[in-house]
Amino acid sequence: MDYGIEDKDQETVVRLRGRLTFNDHGKLRALIREMLQTKAKRQVLDLSALEFVDSAGIGMLLIAREEMSNVDKLLILRAAAGQVKRVLTVAQLNKIVAIED
Amino acid sequence: MNDQPDSPQVLENARVMVVDDNRVNRHLLLALLERGGVRHIEMAEDGNDALARMDQFRPDMILLDLMMPNLDGFEMCRLLRADPAWKDLPVLVQSSLNRAEDRAKAFAAGATDYVTKPINAVELLARVRIHLQNRALLHDLRLFRERTETELALARKMQERLLPTPDRLAELEAATGVRIHAHFAPSSELGGDFWDLRIDGRGRAVVTMVDFSGHGVGAALNTFRLHAIGQQMDFTDFSPAAFLATVNKRLCALLPSGQFATMLAGVVDLAENRFVYASAGSTRPMLWAPGDAEPTLAESAGLPLGLLPSATYEERSAPLPEGGRLFLYSDGAIEIPVGGDVLDEPGLASMVAARIGETDDRRFLDGLLDALRATGPIDDDLTALVLTRTG
Repeated sequence: MDYGIEDKDQETVVRLRGRLTFNDHGKLRALIREMLQTKAKRQVLDLSALEFVDSAGIGMLLIAREEMSNVDKLLILRAAAGQVKRVLTVAQLNKIVAIED
Repeated sequence: MNDQPDSPQVLENARVMVVDDNRVNRHLLLALLERGGVRHIEMAEDGNDALARMDQFRPDMILLDLMMPNLDGFEMCRLLRADPAWKDLPVLVQSSLNRAEDRAKAFAAGATDYVTKPINAVELLARVRIHLQNRALLHDLRLFRERTETELALARKMQERLLPTPDRLAELEAATGVRIHAHFAPSSELGGDFWDLRIDGRGRAVVTMVDFSGHGVGAALNTFRLHAIGQQMDFTDFSPAAFLATVNKRLCALLPSGQFATMLAGVVDLAENRFVYASAGSTRPMLWAPGDAEPTLAESAGLPLGLLPSATYEERSAPLPEGGRLFLYSDGAIEIPVGGDVLDEPGLASMVAARIGETDDRRFLDGLLDALRATGPIDDDLTALVLTRTG
């Protein structure tokens, strides 16, 4: 997995690319730290270029949600497609994370 | 790790063999090593003499001359390396040959390091110390790995013991009219998958299958937690949705942030000819009746366990007539990469359809698993079970 951050006025948009799995733990930790340092309240993870997420990857997204909420930021998962979208849907994660198309 | 590899003990406890045909050289090296703190030193006059002393002295290191009568240093080194017991032994060549070709030849014969004569005492001792430290570290690492492997193997046996035994499954089949055949393969020694078959107070077969996020030791420990929770649950009149809601509450209190589990819990209702189940984000169960050409993929949306204490679960059901079958699997089976995507449930369903007439459980599952392995690498825990209504 790799990512690019775009810091806008209203929201920070992080575009995730590739596969988000068990092995990306360190990278996602670093990303969360970067997101915590930005000003915007809305922290958007753009998942349109994410090809695959496994259960550990979902776990890391949930940790990100919690870390944002601890500092009064809002995590939004945006534009998931393919396998990623199917996983988010079957796990009904919209019940605990903001999900946008 | 009692011996700190950088402590003086490394030299004190080390056993060093000096191989040189020149008596003056041997004694020079002996004095030098003793001055450096080495206490256990053996002397050999040529390659043959050294090889003869190996098993008794069991050196941690050899200082080897190259030009010797009978068996020279090159040949001795080659013979030494042919014995697996000595393949990692540090061999420090000390020779008056100092051409690049000689060095290359010595390394090709299996030497670890090379110093040229005349010997510089400080340099030689420094090299001896480094090689002995490396060897002590390697030894510690090897012991640590062996212990870890032993413990993991033990933990794996314990985890397998949580699963129903073949005797227990036969007993349950006689009581409930449901036969189960399972495949359980963690991706490493331990995994986060777990399944169980029980009988409820109404004599119905209850099947549960869980997949904790991640894999390895952390996920495996959670399967033990879940087993303990299961032992305390009420199975008098099994309700899948209530069961998941209760387990979820318990796991919410136990699991750290970022960990969760997907789970399917269901009961085979013979009178209603249905499989009644609830899902916490599990894979979609597949069901078929005798004569069907392909399996039906049942719904499985639901919040995974351990995320939200107030979560509730939907009770669903699917037809399961006599002779009908149910196939459950962990996500390892559908996350196999295929081109740019993954196999996913429809891909797995078509593999099931291809052998849907195979009534022998073992042949059915083995055939399916072979097809999965042929599709791509499986790098997650993989559990698959086929349940058949025999009564």
